[in-house]
Amino acid sequence: MNEIGGVPLFFLEFGDIVAYFSPFTLTLFLLALVFSVFVIVSRPERQIDIAFGADAFFAKEISLPELRFRRFMAIACGLACMGAMVTGDVFDFTLFVSLVGICNVGIVAAVRTYHVQDAAYQYGLVALAGTVPLFSAAAIVAATTGTLSMLELASPAAPAVPLIARALLVLGVMGEGMAPFYAAKAEMFRAPGAPYVIMCSLSSLLIFLRVTEVVLLL
Amino acid sequence: MAWNEYSFGLLVVFLAALVGFMALARERDDLHKLLLVDLVEVASIAVIALLGTDLAEALILPGLVVGIAELLALSQLYIAKEGLAGVPPRGLNIEVVQKSPATVIIPGFLVVYGIVLSGFTGGGIAALGLVFYFMSHRFLGDFHVLELASGISWALWVAAFFVFMFAPAFWFLALMGAAVGILLKVITKISLVGVMWGEAE
Repeated sequence: MNEIGGVPLFFLEFGDIVAYFSPFTLTLFLLALVFSVFVIVSRPERQIDIAFGADAFFAKEISLPELRFRRFMAIACGLACMGAMVTGDVFDFTLFVSLVGICNVGIVAAVRTYHVQDAAYQYGLVALAGTVPLFSAAAIVAATTGTLSMLELASPAAPAVPLIARALLVLGVMGEGMAPFYAAKAEMFRAPGAPYVIMCSLSSLLIFLRVTEVVLLL
Repeated sequence: MAWNEYSFGLLVVFLAALVGFMALARERDDLHKLLLVDLVEVASIAVIALLGTDLAEALILPGLVVGIAELLALSQLYIAKEGLAGVPPRGLNIEVVQKSPATVIIPGFLVVYGIVLSGFTGGGIAALGLVFYFMSHRFLGDFHVLELASGISWALWVAAFFVFMFAPAFWFLALMGAAVGILLKVITKISLVGVMWGEAE
């Protein structure tokens, strides 16, 4: 097989869906895992606003129900990231990526600030539109090669995946939170509550790294 | 590569998606944008359906579920963003809808037919009946019970899949569990569309 991410260390089989841990995917998986653990154990930051023209500042408090909801969404996002990092099935990969998109919206949805909610909504629209090229890519891969397994597609004997399927896959992942659509997401990071909000940007980075591997593998 | 039915189908679906995206680029109202995105989403389901195999059927289900989940999440966010939470839903203010017994008979027929069909399709049909019923009758019950039922029946569905994987000998039990689980899940989840207006402040 085309070992772009190193020799797979071991395979985890769920029927015909095989998750594989190569040095590359294992590194990304551990990164997502470690950050998820951080999210579980850490407490949210309290953003400080300085009042200009006066000797005063105020801290933004995060209520317990809001904290619980956001922590839950951040953990869900971490799990979706871990799945996207190690899955060996093209359709599963697209599903995990769109799950990351929903969770990113969820992380900031509980913030009671209009501009943050508005940014999250606009980003959610982009993410929802991004599922069209994502699922189209997976469907075209299945239609042209007859399989969705990355391990089979990586073997030299496998039929070639058309360029349009790879292009649609990259476009779809871009819709779920990469440049240039990342601009829609940037406003969301102004929401208070550091460790949870950083999950949004970390998940974007991780799915970006993984999709490069997937596209080169196909 | 020669043009065949699949290529033509793909062309039509992509043209439809393109029209949807063009409308999306011109639209400025947030709620209309959400509706248009949902319309575009149908194109992605159609691309999968073009496969025309059993695999396509298996892939449409998660694709549709993810699409509905995103739609529900975004509509909740829209309600929170525009400060619409706590506004009670209203039924259709049309005299014939409010007085006619057809608004009970048609949902009743659809629900019974959906339960007979079972599975995802049956759930969709029964849920359509319930959505029509809730639309035409003002119902201010506790919808959180429905939400809970939806979650539990989904757990049943997942449990049935574990039986398939680890104890294939009990496949018939698992099949029935999965069919009933997904039926209840889809009925309860889709019937919530339009009636849940978020937590009262």
